[in-house]
Amino acid sequence: MDNREQTVAAIRSVFPEGEGVAEIPGGEMPAFRVDRGALPALARHLKNDPALDFKLLLDVCGVDYPGRDERFEVVYHAASLERGQRIRLKVPVPEGDPVVPSLFGVWRAADWFEREAFDMFGIRFEGHPNLKRILCHQAFQGHALRKDYDPGQRWLLRETEQDDMPAWAKERPEDADHFETQVLNLGPSHPATHGTLRTVVRLDGEIITKAEVEIGYLHRCFEKMAESHTWNQVIPYTDRLNYCSAMMNGVGYALAVEKMLGVPAPPRAQTIRLILSELSRIMDHIVDIGANLNDLGAMTPFLYMYEAREEIYSLLEACCGSRLTMSYVRIGGLSHDVPHDFAESVRYLLKRIPTLIADMETLITENRIFRDRTEGIGRLSAEDAVDWGWTGPCLRACGVAYDVRKAYPYLGYETYDFKVPVSHGGDTYARYLVRVEEIKQSLALVEQALGRLAPGPIIVDDHNVALPPKEKVYTEMESLIWHFKLIMEGMKVPAGEAYGFSEGANGELGYYIVSDGGGKPYRIKVRPPCFAIFQAYPHMLEGATVSDAVAMLGSFNVIAGELDR
Amino acid sequence: MREPEPKLSLPVAGRAGRGGGGLHEKDGDPAFLTTRVEAWIDAARKNSLWPFPFGTACCAIEFMSFMMSHYDISRFGAEVVRFSPRQSDLLIVAGTVTDKMAPVMVRIYEQMAEPKYVISMGVCACTGGFYRAYHVVQGIDEFIPVDVYVPGCPPTPEALLQGVVKLQEMIARGETRYQRALAAAKAAGA
Amino acid sequence: MMTRDVVVCDAKPLGTLQRFYLVEVAKGLAVTLRHFLGNLFARQYTVTVEWPEVKREYSERLRGRHILLARPDGSPRCVACYMCEEACPAACIHIEAEEDPASPTVEYEKRPKVFTIDLLRCVYCGFCVDACPKEAIVMSRTHEMAFAGRAEAVVGLDELLQNGPYDRLDLGYRPYFGAPRSRIELPIPVKASRPPG
Repeated sequence: MDNREQTVAAIRSVFPEGEGVAEIPGGEMPAFRVDRGALPALARHLKNDPALDFKLLLDVCGVDYPGRDERFEVVYHAASLERGQRIRLKVPVPEGDPVVPSLFGVWRAADWFEREAFDMFGIRFEGHPNLKRILCHQAFQGHALRKDYDPGQRWLLRETEQDDMPAWAKERPEDADHFETQVLNLGPSHPATHGTLRTVVRLDGEIITKAEVEIGYLHRCFEKMAESHTWNQVIPYTDRLNYCSAMMNGVGYALAVEKMLGVPAPPRAQTIRLILSELSRIMDHIVDIGANLNDLGAMTPFLYMYEAREEIYSLLEACCGSRLTMSYVRIGGLSHDVPHDFAESVRYLLKRIPTLIADMETLITENRIFRDRTEGIGRLSAEDAVDWGWTGPCLRACGVAYDVRKAYPYLGYETYDFKVPVSHGGDTYARYLVRVEEIKQSLALVEQALGRLAPGPIIVDDHNVALPPKEKVYTEMESLIWHFKLIMEGMKVPAGEAYGFSEGANGELGYYIVSDGGGKPYRIKVRPPCFAIFQAYPHMLEGATVSDAVAMLGSFNVIAGELDR
Repeated sequence: MREPEPKLSLPVAGRAGRGGGGLHEKDGDPAFLTTRVEAWIDAARKNSLWPFPFGTACCAIEFMSFMMSHYDISRFGAEVVRFSPRQSDLLIVAGTVTDKMAPVMVRIYEQMAEPKYVISMGVCACTGGFYRAYHVVQGIDEFIPVDVYVPGCPPTPEALLQGVVKLQEMIARGETRYQRALAAAKAAGA
Repeated sequence: MMTRDVVVCDAKPLGTLQRFYLVEVAKGLAVTLRHFLGNLFARQYTVTVEWPEVKREYSERLRGRHILLARPDGSPRCVACYMCEEACPAACIHIEAEEDPASPTVEYEKRPKVFTIDLLRCVYCGFCVDACPKEAIVMSRTHEMAFAGRAEAVVGLDELLQNGPYDRLDLGYRPYFGAPRSRIELPIPVKASRPPG
């Protein structure tokens, strides 16, 4: 009995046919249509039954189908790390009574994801402790991702309306001993938030007793914009999700769409994607470590490491013409081939980056000040980390060896020899160690991939997906027509849905894509890794000091573009 | 797609005029010496800009490149980045400004010491860029006056350096919005 | 699925010397001093690009300001087919077409009456170049731009249209034929630019 059948059998043993849990056949993973009433019991069963073991809730998202009787659909994705199995639950919700029981009591990861679905679709999650808007501002009216919402409809937030502190911050402390209690507001424009995050903390002396985080200051409406652009036009938008490592977002998106199309990219394109993705991962870790150190008062290592980043930029610029937001990936391959001396330049980088990383390590890794500031700070156990939905380096620093590149290999990662760095500290220092080791592993991956870079096409030869080569467009009528059709109408992706995921710099970057068969995506939901990581932050702050808050925040690598989309 | 329009009327549109109150001359006859002194002060101001990096998005990463060794803004006398608006005179808005962030930006601009200049870095800050969307400000000049617009998504560090150089030229020639407002206030008072 | 192929990097306990701290300070100072002296006495290895006197070598594919290429007679190659306008994710291109008065004599029937690009909307993604079926719109390597107002950033046919041989134009991102021509040189090379004016 394979994994999937086993999963279905374990669910059927408790929820027999006809009791609100109906299997949806086919698809990439087991999927069930679940009645609202049966959802909490099923969720608890999925998490707690050792034969199922779905400990990690990946994503909660809403989809709007205006034509259906039950207009909305809430889609849950969960995974079992031990069994390597994924599951999708779909809960239909009628427009007249858009209420779903909250799963915050089962998986704490549901916290912000449910708030986002509430914000975007107006679906109320009954039992959620703090159900309010998360991405849009307070004066916003309507629900932006509903299909009948006009993408250009803005609402102005007045200055007097914006400054709402959470209710607990306005309360007077009941205890006379807490005479030193005060409320402190960090951000959204604060040197330590690098980006646009706001944290409100209540302090007892120097100890934080309660905290709340406000996000959405960089909500750029990626998902709504994607619905009004063709499949290929979405690629520049994906570059601006996690802008520290723009390449990986595009690769993840292209992989998800290629999965729906059933058109894999040619091997050369895959290898180039892998090389540039790993270099992007290095860039991302450089910025994260550097910014974290900068917040802790160590400016010098950032300057050294930024030299490496600048040189990677030059390589990217030579490949695609832009330093940061590359727009290099196309669905089905890459926009064009790498320059002829690509390999030599990458070899130069392979020699150059380790020396700069070594300088940084000499300055920092065994530095007592740094270790005193970070060891034991922001510690989270492995169970809690999985419960909050953490993935990526932050999860691996808690001792869970989960890496999408190993567990669900894509781009041929299974054929490369690399190791997954794991640390058991679970604290800020462990996250630093894991990231430094990941830089080294990425360098090893790049070196191996470089040896396999064989000549070949860089984009699929399929006129339904890729633009025909320019020389054909200029000379052949048929190619010109295909070119015209692709530009004007966009490629046609078969109707259906897919959850494509890859290992981004912060963890599992998922794209849940729904297509109605048209030239534009029907719905794209991004599962941003740092969204899940950051929702644990206010809870981890309790008991810490303000200076710890700064040290922790830097180590999470919260990228606002990805967090708020 | 049509240009999105805010539902409500914007409460703040060009605030340049308000800044003129700080530097009134007692007697309206600008003597030779005072004009020389003003030119001298402008030269000092242009060569020691104190930027406030209002970095929100991708442009903030390129802003880092602009600060780091390869491009090194300290060659233009503007390396002292201050995160307090009270200590800075150049607001560099680097990245997308959303409707949620706009009041924050306005408050920071109002808190800055005079004279103050604004560089809008990147197309998102300039016009909203390709985010013609429900939560994105379609150009920060809806809210605050902008002296220099730097295009690019994100602009290269050289482009931002070009923006700073252009701002320095404008200060030397007295063309920034603040200086023009001041001159207009003086002319009206004289 | 968890992997077993791991490398454990737990924190190592600090040794006595590290606890004592001064040795680590000396090590750190040695690193910074090495960088400092290197920059002081071996200026050719200093990474700073002395912009604007010296510029670095830009990629041949750099996506900068757009150029509309011209036919030998000076008229734009553009045939106002609206492909770039359609492909642009930012919708920053605006085209109005008109009949080419010389249409019976040339093979092209239409030409752009108005062709504007809002450089402050454009995200420089290069999709217009990919979409153009006539190689009429390409990108230059001019990326150092700054405007004092939004109106002056909307450039029309006059500013965009470039005559002259291709090798004189500082062309950036454009369609390729055959082998890619661009070159990467690392560390980033710098070159003295032409004297101004």
